[in-house]
Amino acid sequence: MTIASTTPDTTDMTPSNLGPLRSKASYWLIAPGVIWMTLFLVVPLGMMVYVSFWSQTTFKIEPILTTKSWETFFSSDTYLNALWTTIRIWLLVLLSTFVVGYPTALFVGLFVKNKTLATTLLVLCVIPFWTSFLIRVLAWRPMLGKEGAINIILQALHITREPIEALLFTELSVIIGMTQIYCVFMVGPIAFMLGRIDPNVIEAARDLGASFWRIFRTIILPLSMPGVIVGGIFVSVMVLGEFATAAALSGRKVNMLGNIIVTQVGSLKWAFAAVVGVILTILMGVVVAGFLRIVDLKREL
Amino acid sequence: MQTTFIKPVLGVYTALFLLFLYGPFVVLGILSFQIGPNGGPQFPIIEWSTYWYQHVFGLTPPSRIAPLPIYEGLARSLTLAFMTMIVSTVLGVMSAQAFRTKFKGSDVVFYLIVLGMMVPGVLVGLGLALVANSVGIDRTWWSTAFVLHVVYTFPFAFLVMLAIFNRFDPSVEEAAWSLGVSPIKTFRKVTFPLIFPGVLSAMLFAFTLSYDEFSRTLFASGRDLTLPLAIYGTFSIEIHPNIFAFGVLTTLFSFALLAVYAILMTVSLRRAKRLAIQEDA
Repeated sequence: MTIASTTPDTTDMTPSNLGPLRSKASYWLIAPGVIWMTLFLVVPLGMMVYVSFWSQTTFKIEPILTTKSWETFFSSDTYLNALWTTIRIWLLVLLSTFVVGYPTALFVGLFVKNKTLATTLLVLCVIPFWTSFLIRVLAWRPMLGKEGAINIILQALHITREPIEALLFTELSVIIGMTQIYCVFMVGPIAFMLGRIDPNVIEAARDLGASFWRIFRTIILPLSMPGVIVGGIFVSVMVLGEFATAAALSGRKVNMLGNIIVTQVGSLKWAFAAVVGVILTILMGVVVAGFLRIVDLKREL
Repeated sequence: MQTTFIKPVLGVYTALFLLFLYGPFVVLGILSFQIGPNGGPQFPIIEWSTYWYQHVFGLTPPSRIAPLPIYEGLARSLTLAFMTMIVSTVLGVMSAQAFRTKFKGSDVVFYLIVLGMMVPGVLVGLGLALVANSVGIDRTWWSTAFVLHVVYTFPFAFLVMLAIFNRFDPSVEEAAWSLGVSPIKTFRKVTFPLIFPGVLSAMLFAFTLSYDEFSRTLFASGRDLTLPLAIYGTFSIEIHPNIFAFGVLTTLFSFALLAVYAILMTVSLRRAKRLAIQEDA
């Protein structure tokens, strides 16, 4: 699923004079989709910004403009901690999905010459996505628990004597779970970019005596960067908006901005939830813009 | 050559990576066969049994463990996924068809649509809940949650259809027009059969994404829970192997769906090929 291969620029735009109705028809065809997205996506997001400036009383909100909810956010340790937790978990998961995913992408995209095998491996990576997201999260509980599979295996192999309790209901379990759930979004785009590297370039470098490490550093890694960026954007957007994994695998101890929104909505603090929502949106916008600055995707893909 | 040992190392790594991806499911699958009702959701397996599968279907005698509250949720989720699938696919085909001719503002529209799949569920969910509150509409799974499901799945359907139209040969349509066939009839008789494999993929995407959708639904649906919400509700209390058994069953259901898709796909591709051969002849 690469966005760039389907951008409007690359579509066949030749207007056909045999279909006189088509250019006018375009607007009629696109109108329902645009209206739907405006009403149910743009308006709600705008509403969120607007409501973040409303007055919050105990159980309801009133459209009297104030910055009080914003002041509460920036003066509360709990909320600033949640912001910091979100950023920390995002960076750690981004790093771990990259480190865990890159070698696999390297193998599938560059080393497997057989197209069928490469496709099979990628399909194997995608199959877990055919099960429910919540079941994928839950599946980590019996893995990581005190009497979980990992502890049993570690003890059976005499690597550890006592079960490691820090595996479940900690920040570590959240990061392990998110890495497994999201690393495929890293593997896919990177493998795609690696697959497009001309083997002759690597062959030429090797003939000139370059070591594998040097080839990797100067050819493979730079050419795979657009894939890393696309993967990074996917992972970032999904991790920043997370709350379910954090809640289910940390025993509600790790609170990300998403978790704060859920709790605030639960206690009808709508204006406050809106403030957190706007902060999350800004954070995401900055992250995505930052990624897009590193690599000009439109040119590279 | 150094690469001779790098390749097997990466191969072994990839195998371990797949183990990492699949490990939790295997463990979940094994534990779903724990004895009940006293066996817990952990090792060791005291005795192998299908107790928890019977428990999911309500075939066991009543015990201290309450049955999973999934049946109403399942019916709602299937209905919702079906509604979402129809609307998303129709919108996706229409929008992608519109993109075949250049129109003013197409860039903006493209990003507007793609935004729907990128914006996290918490944000749109919260936003729509705020809109519904201030307009005074009740939030239900078939109204507010439904429109958000379409916001989420329509971009997928759109991108799939865009990719299909990219590889589409417009000369067959032009032939139909030059013979005086109306554009609508041309679409029905010529274009649609040719893009049908893409439509199937768009439908599959929309259905499964909606069926499994959780974060948008959490905020946008009211008191009546969909299946993922019902499952999420069980997380906060003590978990039992019945939820593992349910996980295995729902995974099997997804694979069944995939199999139906594969069969329909093969049939429609075969038909498209036969049509192409007739044209050549």
